[in-house]
Amino acid sequence: MSLQNSTSKFNRWLDVMFRYRKHTGSWAWILHRFTGIGLTLYILVHIIALTGLLKGEAAFNEEMKLFSSPVFLFAEWFLGILVMFHAINGIRIVLVDLGNGARYHKQILVFVYILTVILVAGMGYLIFAHV
Amino acid sequence: MKVTLNIRRFNPEKDEKPYRKDYEIDVPETFRILDCLDKVKWDIDGELAYRRSCSHGICGSDAMMINGKNMLACQVLVKDFKKKYITIDPIPSLPVIKDLIVNMDSFFKKYEVVKPYLISKEQPPVKERLQSQADRELIDEAVNCILCGACSASCPSLWSNENYLGPAAMLKAYRFIFDSRDDAADERLDIVDTTDGLWRCHTIFNCVEVCPKEINLTWHISQMKKKCAMREL
Repeated sequence: MSLQNSTSKFNRWLDVMFRYRKHTGSWAWILHRFTGIGLTLYILVHIIALTGLLKGEAAFNEEMKLFSSPVFLFAEWFLGILVMFHAINGIRIVLVDLGNGARYHKQILVFVYILTVILVAGMGYLIFAHV
Repeated sequence: MKVTLNIRRFNPEKDEKPYRKDYEIDVPETFRILDCLDKVKWDIDGELAYRRSCSHGICGSDAMMINGKNMLACQVLVKDFKKKYITIDPIPSLPVIKDLIVNMDSFFKKYEVVKPYLISKEQPPVKERLQSQADRELIDEAVNCILCGACSASCPSLWSNENYLGPAAMLKAYRFIFDSRDDAADERLDIVDTTDGLWRCHTIFNCVEVCPKEINLTWHISQMKKKCAMREL
């Protein structure tokens, strides 16, 4: 069929992805995907940062000082948002998949958002109260 | 009331590529989108092609993407839309035959995969097969499906993987797996318990948002996920 030939499969996917209306569930899914990708990238950074351990204690401590600069504290806080949302929404997904959560997924999602905000705010306090 | 319909047009015999065209019409606000399409076809452009049959939300022929969301054109009124500029597309992910008509072959092939018929190992009774009220309640929602395809075509998992069974086929699997009169639950669970079956459902809930019969498909899929998980224990 000529429609298939005129536009590539990926372009059609992208088009419908952007044009299709997003609902509460779709946003939760999109956020879960992006936070998941973010956390995967973080693991790489984390492992690279830890290779400093191979150079001995002094070199490692020197490297760790870099991570207490304000920029990295903010980055850490941002990482906290990813971890919190991904973890709490993960519990929501378990409730939906293996509990009765599919009937109440919107209400649970409101709890997920509120809990994420509270925990991220608390984390911000713990990080920045000691600066 | 002045309404503008922005319709995605494509005639494989004439057009190289799909294009969009605006149709301005004057209709009462109680008109359904299907009535608007009829008006366009009957009064303005007789070449416009779309499916319609019963036009009362039972046959499921006129599922289309209206303002970026799949719905039945016969179930929404013009006054339901705040903006009177309404975009109409064929339901996504299925190949377009002409204008708003899509080829639903793959949809029905997936439907057949889950064996959508009663499989009973017992001798047929003289009269009807009896079922208790509690047993029937389990499938109360699932039997309402009209196979319009709005759910499967709204699923991002299906957009990116055309082998995915899709919510409609899996709802039908549920309908027989949880039917007390059916004896082939395990057989059907084997069919849906695959990476292109149950486990590709990422609980996005697009299908639940669009179902014209208000079936909570994700709940039905989750019940089968639970059953499959329990089977492994």
